[in-house]
Amino acid sequence: MSTNDPSQVKEVIRGFIANSVNIDALGDDENLFESGIVNSLFAMQLMTFIERKFGIEVGMDDLEIENFKSVSSTAAFVLKKLGGRPV
Amino acid sequence: MQTVLTAEQNRRYAEFQEFAAAHVAPFAGDWDRAQQVPPSAIAQLSRAGYLGATIPLQFGGRGWDVVTFGLLNEALGRSDSAFTGILTVQAMISMALLKWGTGDQRSRWLPALARGEVIGAFALTEPEAGSDLQAMTTQFRRSGRDGGLILNGEKKWISCGQMAGVFLVFGNLEQEPTACLVPRESDGFEIEPIQDLLGFRAAGLARLRFHDVAIPAANIIGKPGFAFSHVAPVGLHYGRISTACSAAGLLRGCLEESTDYAAARKLGAQRVADLGMIQSMIARMGADLDAAQLLCWSACRAEDDHLPEALTKAFVAKYFASQAAVRAAGSAVQIHGAAGCHESSPVARFYRGAKIMEIIEGTTQVHERILGQCFVQDAVKRQRARLPPMPP
Repeated sequence: MSTNDPSQVKEVIRGFIANSVNIDALGDDENLFESGIVNSLFAMQLMTFIERKFGIEVGMDDLEIENFKSVSSTAAFVLKKLGGRPV
Repeated sequence: MQTVLTAEQNRRYAEFQEFAAAHVAPFAGDWDRAQQVPPSAIAQLSRAGYLGATIPLQFGGRGWDVVTFGLLNEALGRSDSAFTGILTVQAMISMALLKWGTGDQRSRWLPALARGEVIGAFALTEPEAGSDLQAMTTQFRRSGRDGGLILNGEKKWISCGQMAGVFLVFGNLEQEPTACLVPRESDGFEIEPIQDLLGFRAAGLARLRFHDVAIPAANIIGKPGFAFSHVAPVGLHYGRISTACSAAGLLRGCLEESTDYAAARKLGAQRVADLGMIQSMIARMGADLDAAQLLCWSACRAEDDHLPEALTKAFVAKYFASQAAVRAAGSAVQIHGAAGCHESSPVARFYRGAKIMEIIEGTTQVHERILGQCFVQDAVKRQRARLPPMPP
């Protein structure tokens, strides 16, 4: 990626998450941690994906369910961590 | 295997094998019979810097890549899986702390863990709760003093519990999964050694009991609510990598001991190694060893590259290597005949230890449940990729 364009960031995150859930249509605001949508490895895989893809580090202070509960909230979290930095 | 390693990794692997041959193999039987590793042997591990293998240089560790860490576990696992268990647990607690500890927690604990001044233990399993974390009954409650907690509960089958100085303990705080560091000397903390295991006897397993143990706020790792989803998985991931590599080492031990024996032992005018049935067992061991080592390398390399699929690769490596170790250990005893049934032969210990590799860090059946889900999800992903895009 060459920009931190919010729609592009969201698209990349949506692509990763959509391939990790076991339902066909996932809304951007749908809660990922509702029973049965993802497996037990998902939380760690999502964290590793965004760290690697966007060059950010998720640390203790970032451990808030609001940061990872949906496609939209994860994208917002990544953009906040990037803080305008190109990725 | 050597062909996929860098020159530096190969050099270190040779160093680890020399260490194991000099400081582990000659004593592993004695440790097994005594059901403990002496402090002098742990000190040797510390002096070599192996307890801080994955801890970054800035915290006094060796800062090695995960492939090198895997090679260390394989080399030591060749001689003694119980001794290697110390490395496993040290990495589990260290890496969980490195990822989720505060700056103060890292500075306080990681250098001591890296130097081996403190041995860690990962206190997750309970008498009635293994892989089913939801069944955990260990409880934290707020003490009302400076954000501290009070811990009550019981843990069982905790590797290195007998010699650990600090324990990463998991439980629930007001129904939120929480992890805390608990020093050995804490008031109300009782440690009971577990003896007479099938194998892994020198790994210092213990039962832990917590009676109103006061935990300062500074010892909470991560945030309440994330202990099962984020803190434990980091440790368990390194535990699976370590165990997979240790099992691959045990498998190599079975192959080497078996081929040495079969090449020297005569049956009439024939070598045992020339018997077709023996060659079948050895062929299976050799092929399994190649596969196990490459799966371990693949998992370690994926972790070095910080890939999301590193988690599933570690599951695959542990799933395959531990089962292959069990098969190989059975064959090794069979090839040795009566000699393999006596504790003077390392393959008798390998036979007992191999089964433990299939149990710890998640049983084979737990791996099958998770890997089954992952592989089906991969198929769904492929099917979706073939579908035309949804209309806007």
